[in-house]
Amino acid sequence: MIAPRWRKVFRDIADTPLRTALAVTAMAAGAFGVTMILTSYSVLKRELKTTYSDTRPASAVLVLDGLASDALVDSVRHMPGVRDAESRPVIGGRLFIGNGQWVPLILFVVRDFGDIRLDRFTPDAGAWPPGDGEVLIERSSLSVARAAIGDRVIVRTSDHIERPLRIAGTVHAAGLAPGWMEHAVAGFVKSNPQMTQRNTDKGSRVDSNHLPLSASSADQLRILVTGDTLDEKHIRDVANRVARSIGHVTRIEVPTPGRHPHAAQMDTFLYLLGAFGVLTFALSAVLVATMIHALLTEQLRQVGVMKTLGASTTQIASLYLGQVAILAAAAIAIGVPFGVAAGQAYARFAASMLNATITKAMPALWIVAAEVAAGIAIPLLVALGPVAHAARISIHEAFSNDVGGKPFGTRRFDRWLARIQWMPRPLMLSLRTTFHRRGRLILTVATLAAGGAAFIAAMNVSATWTRTLDADGRARRFDIQAVFARPYPAAQVMQALASVPDVVHAECWTEAGATLGDANVSFVGPDVNSKLLALPLIAGRWLRPDDDAVAVINQSVLSLDPTLHLGGDIPINVNAHVGRLRIIGIVKELAPRATVYAPPRAILRATGKPPGLARSVRIVTRQRDVAGQVGASKAIEQALENAGISVAGIQALSDSRKSFSDHLVIIKSALIFAALLVVLVGGLGLTSTLTLNVFERTREIGILSAIGATPGTIARDVVFEGMVMAVLSWCAALLVSIPITFALDAATGQMFIRSALDFYMSPFAAAVWLLLVLILAALCSFYPARRSARLAVREAIAYE
Amino acid sequence: MIHLQSLSKTYDTPAGAFPALRNIDLEIAAGEFVAIVGKSGSGKSTLLNMVGGIDRPSSGSLRVGGRSIQGLTHNELASWRGRTVGFVFQFFQLLPTLTVAENVMLPMDFCGVRPRSERRKHAMSLLDRVAVADQADKLPSALSGGQQQRVAIARALANDPPVILADEPTGNLDSETSIAIFQLFGELSGEGKTLLVVTHDREAAVSVSRTVTIVDGCVA
Repeated sequence: MIAPRWRKVFRDIADTPLRTALAVTAMAAGAFGVTMILTSYSVLKRELKTTYSDTRPASAVLVLDGLASDALVDSVRHMPGVRDAESRPVIGGRLFIGNGQWVPLILFVVRDFGDIRLDRFTPDAGAWPPGDGEVLIERSSLSVARAAIGDRVIVRTSDHIERPLRIAGTVHAAGLAPGWMEHAVAGFVKSNPQMTQRNTDKGSRVDSNHLPLSASSADQLRILVTGDTLDEKHIRDVANRVARSIGHVTRIEVPTPGRHPHAAQMDTFLYLLGAFGVLTFALSAVLVATMIHALLTEQLRQVGVMKTLGASTTQIASLYLGQVAILAAAAIAIGVPFGVAAGQAYARFAASMLNATITKAMPALWIVAAEVAAGIAIPLLVALGPVAHAARISIHEAFSNDVGGKPFGTRRFDRWLARIQWMPRPLMLSLRTTFHRRGRLILTVATLAAGGAAFIAAMNVSATWTRTLDADGRARRFDIQAVFARPYPAAQVMQALASVPDVVHAECWTEAGATLGDANVSFVGPDVNSKLLALPLIAGRWLRPDDDAVAVINQSVLSLDPTLHLGGDIPINVNAHVGRLRIIGIVKELAPRATVYAPPRAILRATGKPPGLARSVRIVTRQRDVAGQVGASKAIEQALENAGISVAGIQALSDSRKSFSDHLVIIKSALIFAALLVVLVGGLGLTSTLTLNVFERTREIGILSAIGATPGTIARDVVFEGMVMAVLSWCAALLVSIPITFALDAATGQMFIRSALDFYMSPFAAAVWLLLVLILAALCSFYPARRSARLAVREAIAYE
Repeated sequence: MIHLQSLSKTYDTPAGAFPALRNIDLEIAAGEFVAIVGKSGSGKSTLLNMVGGIDRPSSGSLRVGGRSIQGLTHNELASWRGRTVGFVFQFFQLLPTLTVAENVMLPMDFCGVRPRSERRKHAMSLLDRVAVADQADKLPSALSGGQQQRVAIARALANDPPVILADEPTGNLDSETSIAIFQLFGELSGEGKTLLVVTHDREAAVSVSRTVTIVDGCVA
């Protein structure tokens, strides 16, 4: 037989279904939010890692100046320190997508589709392996190719050799960055004997099924080292040894060990999920505290009665902690399964954005166990203080109805409030009641503010990324960049462009590939009087026409070597010769590529090449919108081709901007997801809190009715009180969102573009939350207020 | 049974110190049925609260059943109260979510009095005693005021305490029911219980053995 006191607990829960439902809903919303984030976080972290490691990523890529024979590859496999090796030549080029437009293309030539050892990819749809004249397209880039399986596409190599290829199927290459994000197509073709015959037949058109490897097609010998595959130094040692042994290695690339090419995005994304997990957690804890406060407030008289009947502090405390545990268990039963399901769905969505596949969507058991434990423990912990306070309260206090509260007028703020006389009296009453019940006010405002702060911060960070993107766009004042297959005289380029009416201005900059330590950097020399680049400075100044051995670096260079500083020297290695330039400025760029800007003469000196040669051109077009840029691109390419200039790639700035914007999609999705979740959790919390607030005031509303207040007046005043709380919470949310936004801007910026984002508070975010919180406050106050106002006066006054 | 010596209680209020009781000396023997009367705010309820250990005196000494209760901790006081004192309130204060019988069983539950299996039987006998046994499984909201007060008296008797304290027990009842309640108190007094009843109801209180009048916190 259950003891009467425990029956009281169950009946209290059952006899107030609406209140129980509100409390359980609020707690369940919190449990849902935290579980959803924890689930997606843990599933994604695990699956992204396995998806990538399952590809058996190469430790190093040795770029050869010729093709590696099977015998050579086999000998490398047997070299000490090498666990495995595979040769996979790469053909760079473009793919025709119709309407005169081309997109960048990278084709990997696979020797044996039955023996893919490193950087693996798997069949996705269609045929496997591809036949002669066929290509398998990486699944995430099929949309970029604007083609379907079975279609014939035209590819043009960087040596201007055009071939048709039939798309035989799609593959999933989890180690490659998603094609739709890069705005480039990745494909895999079969190697055939004819490829080994170098073909530089520039004039050849659509007349052969074979795609030749040409002078600019690099063979890539991929190796996997033995021992610690995450030790970059060890990898470099092995790669250098192999390179020395086989010769004709032009470059060694060592990708950051264990890091997916889009690891920065994933890190930022997971960080955001984690950060908002913590915020949702905090929000749900405040929510629980509010619920428990409301529960105990209405039970105080009963606590007094039980104490007179001989109940000890421990007995009372255990009753209410028991009640909290039951409510929490119900909340978990609802929140956790839904949270897991939603988290899995979101993980699948996010994985698809990162071109990963979720093979096992179940979160680790400990995550579920931790969530269940936390779902019980947190409400109990949060309840411990208020329950102990309620259990320790004297019977006298419990019966006197003003627990712990000082009478109105004893605080300075009360007296100040009492001096406000211009408001209608019922409104004054509302206002004074709001501020008098401080415990309730603080908890309600805190709940709403926690939700608001998380929402505003999410929207702020999202807006900051958009602004950063816009600012970077404004910093690049050219519309099109064309890259040539080989250097051409700048005068020839300018002459060709002069015939294009769409071109307003063009500049050929001096450029070279360089290294800083082991890392590749771009070495760019804008025209001395160029106005096409106005990158925001973090420190120092931009280049001047009279500058000589100086450099301006971007934040990515700084992150490669943190010892670099303004006024110090940067050792730039060009063609195995290290030159030193003094750093006069540090700029912030959105693209994470490490770039060193220097006067053209400094670059020419380093490369030893004569002036007047150009590998690329930056162009300002007459019509600067997207359509104008696309239209001009075609005319420009035609003009350059007519002048005998072989174009390897031409990119409208709007396109590269779109590509970067697409890189942000996953981050923005996390932010929107967080914002929506917070609206859901916060909205439910707000609804419950405000509704319970009005319940608490039922007796007071009865008294107001008794002295002649109409239901309309009462509803209006209670709604006003809700609004006051909403506005207060909004102010608090704005304040709290400042440090959160600041921290998120700094962390996500640092992870993704190696530089903190500029702090920005979005007025839109603040306005949306204000509107949301006001509407919810009005709705949540109006209905319970009307209900209370319609209660018979006697009922309301006797309300327990 | 109840021994008060120089008992004072002063409340600190925003308007300054308020002496609710001043130097009360009072001796109540076992089995006495005492009515405490006085105007509103005279200190009657405060006096009752002191005796029942609901509130603590500011000075003076207080012994109930030969035991000084001033030095007891919260929990000791709760246990002492549950076994020594039965309370009856003006507004009955039955727990709304427990049935009548469960309300009566609750003090036994808290104080661990009687084996669990016997509690309902005892509650039923008490309800029978106060003539509401037929209401045992109803919720308090289904009972009239008089019935609820009878249940409250049964609850006060649950742990068989030697002292019953009642604060305006008939203040919310009609005169006929009030008389019946006081008759019940009289019977309890006859059985040896010590009763201390705060009341305005002079008509109903005819059966008391002694009346103590409180004026401005002092025994008149």
